[in-house]
Amino acid sequence: MSTTALTYSQDIAELVRKSRETKTPLVDYGLAHRGLGHAPPNSHTAIQLTGGLIEHHVPDMTVRAHAGMKLGELQATLRENNQLLPIDADDDLSLGEILTHNVYGALRQGFGSVRDLVLGLSFIDGRGDDIAVGGRTVKNVAGLDVSRFMVGSLGQFGIVHTVTLRTSALPPQATWVELTGHDPGPFDALVRAALLTDANPQLVDCRYDAPRWVLRMGYLGKSAATAVQVRSLETLDDAHPDLHVTHTGHGDMRDLTRELSITRAWRRTAGALVKLVVPPNTTGRACRLLKEWSDSNHPLHIDALPPFGCVMTGGHLSAEQARSLDRVVRDVRRSLGGFAVWHARPGNDPSITPFSPEPSEMTVLRKLKHALDPDNLLNPGRML
Amino acid sequence: MPASAPTHPVIPELIRLLGPDAVLTDPQELRVYECDGFPIAKGLPTAVIFPRDTVQVAQAVGIITRHNLQVIPRGSGTGLAGGAVAYGSGVIVCTSRMTRIESIDLDNRVAVVQAGVLNTALSDAILHSGLRFSPDPSSQRASTIGGNAATNAGGINTLKHGVTTNHVLGVEFVTAQGEIVQTRATGLYDGVGPDLPALLCGSEGILGILTRIWCRLVPIPRHFRTMYAVFNDSQAACRSVADVIAAGLVPASMEMMDGQMVRVVEEAFHYGFPTDAQALLLIEIDGVERTLDGQLQQVVSICKHNGACDIQHCSDPTRRAELWSARKRAFGAIGRLARSYCTQDACLPRSALAKAIKEITEIGRRFGITLSNVFHAGDGNVHPILLFDEDNPDEVQNTLRCSEEILEYCITLGGTITGEHGVGVEKLHLMPKLFSPQTLRTFTDIKTALDPGHHINDGKLIPSDTLHIELMQPATPRSPGGAMVIG
Ligand SMILES: Cc1cc2nc3c(=O)[nH]c(=O)nc-3n(C[C@H](O)[C@H](O)[C@H](O)COP(=O)(O)OP(=O)(O)OC[C@H]3O[C@@H](n4cnc5c(N)ncnc54)[C@H](O)[C@@H]3O)c2cc1C
Repeated sequence: MSTTALTYSQDIAELVRKSRETKTPLVDYGLAHRGLGHAPPNSHTAIQLTGGLIEHHVPDMTVRAHAGMKLGELQATLRENNQLLPIDADDDLSLGEILTHNVYGALRQGFGSVRDLVLGLSFIDGRGDDIAVGGRTVKNVAGLDVSRFMVGSLGQFGIVHTVTLRTSALPPQATWVELTGHDPGPFDALVRAALLTDANPQLVDCRYDAPRWVLRMGYLGKSAATAVQVRSLETLDDAHPDLHVTHTGHGDMRDLTRELSITRAWRRTAGALVKLVVPPNTTGRACRLLKEWSDSNHPLHIDALPPFGCVMTGGHLSAEQARSLDRVVRDVRRSLGGFAVWHARPGNDPSITPFSPEPSEMTVLRKLKHALDPDNLLNPGRML
Repeated sequence: MPASAPTHPVIPELIRLLGPDAVLTDPQELRVYECDGFPIAKGLPTAVIFPRDTVQVAQAVGIITRHNLQVIPRGSGTGLAGGAVAYGSGVIVCTSRMTRIESIDLDNRVAVVQAGVLNTALSDAILHSGLRFSPDPSSQRASTIGGNAATNAGGINTLKHGVTTNHVLGVEFVTAQGEIVQTRATGLYDGVGPDLPALLCGSEGILGILTRIWCRLVPIPRHFRTMYAVFNDSQAACRSVADVIAAGLVPASMEMMDGQMVRVVEEAFHYGFPTDAQALLLIEIDGVERTLDGQLQQVVSICKHNGACDIQHCSDPTRRAELWSARKRAFGAIGRLARSYCTQDACLPRSALAKAIKEITEIGRRFGITLSNVFHAGDGNVHPILLFDEDNPDEVQNTLRCSEEILEYCITLGGTITGEHGVGVEKLHLMPKLFSPQTLRTFTDIKTALDPGHHINDGKLIPSDTLHIELMQPATPRSPGGAMVIG
């Protein structure tokens, strides 16, 4: 099926209006999230947004861009003015995909997620109307906060075509420390302790890097400051004899971004990929339980964001193995609390529920979907 | 029991549900609830009720809507836009008895509170832990966390640490149909699908009544430098703010008082501020101790470069507390200047601040209104305070017209009509100037989806078809305040 590339609001609105007449759904699952949610209906028009920068208010540290603009292009433009968008996602993802899928990573600890950075946006609703919410000021409570509502909306409530985001100053230096151990359990306590000291990091993640677990904490800023923070972390580490500092990396933001993208590179090719979100203080336990499954079934990639309880796991699994992993994920979720979302299921296996448990606010979300997309044209059935 | 006999048939039903001590109907006592912190718009409720938990709220909402009355959620009534007031008829659902901190989970940095818990009560309860609930409106000793969430309140340290919505992980709310909806409580830091808690934050009680909030707890900054810089020219102070931001520095707070405000605060509380100042910037930096002096020096040189004539700084906690109390008490001190005041709340791109402050002063002069300014300069969030006499109808109307002109001007600079206080009824008439008809219709569609009968706080935040509150026209030539046209 061919894909229609679109940038401008008028063209998108026109397409939505036409689709309304012909009752043809419009589908955009993004580049890295094609397997997230229920599969689209057979008959649909596939769309993909493209675009670039609209305006960069350098002194105000805000930027407005087409939702189709790629993150990498935006970062390159911002870098010219010593700024960045502090989101760690792949360079080829569009801003719209990052926003509607609530993509976040290790930098969330220091800078928040896209929810904390979005100031305003425009979208085409299911009637083909152009809706502009929020603005370009850093605080704004005029009207309902539909900008943040759209974060994680999976393209079901409108086609976001323009976004306004706050930027940050480009840190002059990044230092990241890797601590390794045979068990991820102690990571949670160490991260918690670090939050209350000078070792409070701007970046945290952990991963299984056979045969050991690696916790990475990062500090961004001037070298004098990051040196103090690293020393503080080393002091904390002394209280954890089972963890060892095995690597300290230095570089600029581009070096750090490269490091982060290497960690998550496996996800783009994984036939099976699931996000599990548990209470943060149980991240290590969740990782350990997944590793046990991996040891006795099939090797899994596992990486996690301990401050947020977010664990990504998967790999090249057969349908049978994915179903077995799903059972473990459910067990983990039931014992620790939280939820799971499958980002990729082998063969879109219908026996694996993409979202579990179903969010308790589903009835309300359905009503809101009907209000914004009365004919159910936009990514119909993906979640709702 | 109330002094006067219950008149509306809803009252006995509410008394049966909640008990007589939780239903207020005495007209004298109801007067306390006829307005919030925006004294221009007043309306007497049919009754005020004080439920103790979510189930009581849900059952009460069912009763009130069955009688086709408006449900008006209210916390402490410190709102500055008339959002918690009953116009026409309606029952105020006050959360002031819903004050339980239900759980504190320090490991996961989350507390679950009932909506009526006061902002500072939560931070006080966890002081020992090194964590806090970060949103800090100046009203934080009086305002509720439910009210803070419903208005998406800002405060002094929001420049670096974010507004209320950045600290609300999940909410429970009661819809107009009396359903209890819980959002995102399982994932804490993430959720499935669109961000419903974010939609509820700042919705000013028009989508439902917030009954429980999952509050994110964050580390209390441990090291600070606090400074103030005095300027002979408010433009220079504004330029300093823009320059600090453009230099990539993120102070925890950057607050500004104009000359008049400095004098009022100094006369009232004697903090040692120079009374001939034209502007004073109060700035705080927090972070790793070793880095603070360097950052402070950068801010100091930016202020000096812009002509600051006196700069004082401290790291001493007592002096720091004094300086911030000066800022927080500024609103209280205004009472020394006039019987009533109206606090405006536009937000601007920070680079437009200097221009805006100049023009706002000029607009005040044109209207013959005494105008003071104390505001969150780092956020570009200006609070021109218009002084007037609420018993003088001409002054009320003049104040409203002056406010309107200020806000319209701010829109032309790329700004918004409210950075933190909300639209309420006060700024309803300006919403079409900020949003297209399609966007306004979308807001209404969202409201209708959750509240099909428009029973909850209708006529606030978004223009309503059924309840039209027109502040710009006095009801009668000699009556203060605005007319309320209901139909
Ligand atoms: C001296 C002073 C200083 C102030 N400083 C600041 C400041 O620095 N920053 C700032 O943002 N604001 C400030 N305000 C405004 C006000 O304090 C805030 O808007 C506050 O968040 C309101 O809380 P409240 O409990 O008083 O809510 P209320 O005034 O009772 O209600 C405010 C709005 O929220 C709705 N509401 C209240 N509770 C609920 C609920 N449980 N569910 C649904 N809706 C609800 C009401 O219907 C109304 O629309 C100040 C006010 C004063 C008087």
